[in-house]
Amino acid sequence: MCGIIGYVGRRQAQPILFQSLKRLEYRGYDSCGIATSDSVLSLCKDVGRVVEFEKKAPQIRGTVGIGHTRWATHGGVTAANAHPHTDCTGKIAVVHNGVIENFRELRERLTEEGHRFTSDTDTEVIAHLIEKYYEGNVESAVSKALGDISGTYALAILVNGHRTLVAARRESPLIIGVGDDENFIASDVAAVLDYTDRVIYLEDGDIATVSESTITVTNAGKKAKRSEERVPWTIEDAQKAGYEHFMLKEIHEQPRTIEATLRGYVPFIKPLAILGTEGEKQVRDITLVACGTSYHAALIGEHILGKLCHIPTRARFASEFDPQNMALENTWILGITQSGETTDTLRALQRAKAIGCPTIGITNVHGSSITRIAGQILYTQSGPEIGVAATKTFLAQLTALYLLALSLTERDTRTIENLMAEFRMLPAKVQQVLDNEEQIAEHGRMLSKYENAFYIGRGINYPVAMEGALKLKEISYIHAEAYPAGEIKHGPFALLRSNTPVVAMAPQDDTYEPMLTSIKEIEARGPQVIAVAAEDDENIQQFAQVVIRVPRTDPLFSPFVNTVALQLLAYHAAKERGCPIDLPANLAKSVTVP
Amino acid sequence: MERITQAIVLAAGEGQRLKPFTKLMPKVMLPIADKPILQYVIEALAENGIRRIVMVVGYRKEYVQDYFGSGQQFGVEIDYAAQPQQLGVAHALKQARHLADDRFFVIAGDNMIERDTIAPLINASPNAMLIRSRENSPRYKTVIVQDGRVKDIGVDSAKAPGSPIDIGAYAFTKDVFNFIGDDVSMRSVIQKMIKQGLQITAVETSGFWQDAVYPWDILKLNDMILSKTALSLGGTIEEGSRIKGKVSIGDGTVIRSNCYIVGPVVIGEDCEIGPNACIFPSTSIGNNVVISPFSVIGNTSIGNNVSIGPNASVQDSIIAPGTSIGGHFAARSGEADITIEGEHHQVKMGAIMGSYSQIGEGVVVEPGTMVGNNCRIKSMKTLTESIPDGALVV
Repeated sequence: MCGIIGYVGRRQAQPILFQSLKRLEYRGYDSCGIATSDSVLSLCKDVGRVVEFEKKAPQIRGTVGIGHTRWATHGGVTAANAHPHTDCTGKIAVVHNGVIENFRELRERLTEEGHRFTSDTDTEVIAHLIEKYYEGNVESAVSKALGDISGTYALAILVNGHRTLVAARRESPLIIGVGDDENFIASDVAAVLDYTDRVIYLEDGDIATVSESTITVTNAGKKAKRSEERVPWTIEDAQKAGYEHFMLKEIHEQPRTIEATLRGYVPFIKPLAILGTEGEKQVRDITLVACGTSYHAALIGEHILGKLCHIPTRARFASEFDPQNMALENTWILGITQSGETTDTLRALQRAKAIGCPTIGITNVHGSSITRIAGQILYTQSGPEIGVAATKTFLAQLTALYLLALSLTERDTRTIENLMAEFRMLPAKVQQVLDNEEQIAEHGRMLSKYENAFYIGRGINYPVAMEGALKLKEISYIHAEAYPAGEIKHGPFALLRSNTPVVAMAPQDDTYEPMLTSIKEIEARGPQVIAVAAEDDENIQQFAQVVIRVPRTDPLFSPFVNTVALQLLAYHAAKERGCPIDLPANLAKSVTVP
Repeated sequence: MERITQAIVLAAGEGQRLKPFTKLMPKVMLPIADKPILQYVIEALAENGIRRIVMVVGYRKEYVQDYFGSGQQFGVEIDYAAQPQQLGVAHALKQARHLADDRFFVIAGDNMIERDTIAPLINASPNAMLIRSRENSPRYKTVIVQDGRVKDIGVDSAKAPGSPIDIGAYAFTKDVFNFIGDDVSMRSVIQKMIKQGLQITAVETSGFWQDAVYPWDILKLNDMILSKTALSLGGTIEEGSRIKGKVSIGDGTVIRSNCYIVGPVVIGEDCEIGPNACIFPSTSIGNNVVISPFSVIGNTSIGNNVSIGPNASVQDSIIAPGTSIGGHFAARSGEADITIEGEHHQVKMGAIMGSYSQIGEGVVVEPGTMVGNNCRIKSMKTLTESIPDGALVV
């Protein structure tokens, strides 16, 4: 849950490390630090964001260096706990992403052997272990040290006196960026895109030795061949393009995200390639596993697969997934993770795979860990997402799930064609919601004045309400709770006051009439109701004081337009409250700790 | 003197007389042959080696930012400055002050230009402005030039017949910001500069320059640009289709059997055309557009995400993005009297259709009729007069 970077080349490392750390900040931003090696090893680290640290950090020299931006897991947020960590001699510096499970016993043992610890982190044991085994060859010392460790890690190691960096990975993402007369180590591609678009994806168990001109990789003591790939993303995607926040830029990119993910499947739905192999096994039932926003996509997937394909489908939190009672041998397990690195989701897939279930991953990141675990991969085409609150990747996940449902359905061609025609109108309809931003912003500013809010939905729009509430929580820090509209009278009614606004999803499908009833029941108890309803619904304003208009769609597709309206609502509420929208407190983008 | 490497591009304006299209997007983003006007400006700058750009955006700025991003895709680097209210050209320029180099170009983003148009200015040193001679047209303000120096700008053409016109391209030093002060118009800034004894060189250009002021200008420009567009065929063309002349087809597009397409025509990505559709010259079709069987389209500009039902006949028309049209639609072309912002014009034109409208089956639109954005027109209606935004016709 941290970002790591390494540089070796001919330029001064410090500015490059800072630039790359800024690109990695979405992975954690409570503290950061860098180390460079010249005639001596120099280190600086502190609590706070990279931009602030960059301003006050002393200039340190050296053309080889490592850096880290932290999201605390072991040990509080202090300068001492910030990475890099060093050994007793101050010549070995380590940055780490992951969790060392046996660090307590290692720390005890090393302390007994006379090593002195200066931080509370699990990482520091690695530096001391390497010191213990170091006899002039860094790589073999690292290899021996890793033999003592159990847990997950992506590591970059700098030893004074060497013009090489050593990198190692186990279950935490790590790549090597390949430049001209310079090379990089990084947690992800976004960190090096300013300098190169050529990368090597390291695999579990790899130890890489990287100098400015050579890269050698070993795995289990044997030389391993890892090929270089070109990244389809550009640094373009990692810039704000005149927007105040990445989140708003990414909300505005959604029409293009849908188009890009749809590309190749219109005008007529072509069965997804993944069905060619896994599809030969009879699909009896499907379990979707995911966390956070991806879990909301999974819940919508559950509806859509059930409705269009009549395949029993359920969505489960990846962290709650138990293959023993949730999967049979022929159950398809579909894991959804934007980053492809979400540990809970990866573990769920591994456990399902172990009992013989066919596995499919939906991810946005080429070369990510899920691509090596899942049997088949379906990529979403949204480009990198920098804002911590997921927006465009959620719509891309929905697009992929709908394509999957349309590929599996046995409905007649005419129905499928009509749905596809509706599908391809979605980019324009989402654009229409964006065109209406000013009006939604006004309601967002109103919402910003409250401390609690409810979101209600029915059917396929209940997960949309959950996603809307999550966005509001994440970025505006307003406490928001989502409920199925019918359930709100079984308990939450007790909390309804005039100062708890309720956001109600009122699409014109078979949930419309019961939703009106729910709204009436709520309004009678004082709260203000903000309804999200179709542009031509002339009935709704008699029920709700505030109406957010969205274009009318086929009922199956309403989650797309409704979600975008709720994203804008949350964004403008957070902006009015002056919240740090792209980097909300205590959150990191991809959660690579269990 | 080092050469100037930065251009401030003014892209904040609304384009009042181009409604209903500019109700949603700024004028600079209106597509000509499937590319926004502003893209022609950016390309002209890049081809002259000017790759550092400050874009002043305002009205519906998201459309500009979403399309151009940081400029990488277009081979330039773009920074954005916002002009929250569109008060005037000088006021727009002032918004870029914090991003400006010591010397820079200023270019209007809403006129169609080419590389050669601005090439003479690239080698000039500040202060300078481009002028272009042109047949008398009351549409434009003229520049008074004496001995190669600018004496005044923004002069009515009636008062100075034969004078060249100002095409909105200047070279300035940072000093210009001191002259702007609270002025909003470029004319008063230039007048102040001249009064202070500064010399502004008039640089003549004879390159391509066109302004889009009224909706029908879009069709005229579309025609001009299409005939220059390079040919490229992507997508899938099914058996039995005939493609003649200069035709560009984007990736992912399917031309179904027995279509007849006569260039110049450009068709975007992911479209579905036909079977049995005819597309005649000077037609541009955006991305993700559906043209259903037996439809005939000619000299028409169609935006992204438009869908047109079967047996439609569309001539000399403009259809903005996201509009969906039923079958048996007819947009005839003919002489029409059109009133825009109180001015009367007589032009030959088909339909002028805004964005996101839903048009039923069998609708007929009389020549020159405007249909606004977000309208819903029920089946079998004949539209003879303008339909305002959001209207429901039953």
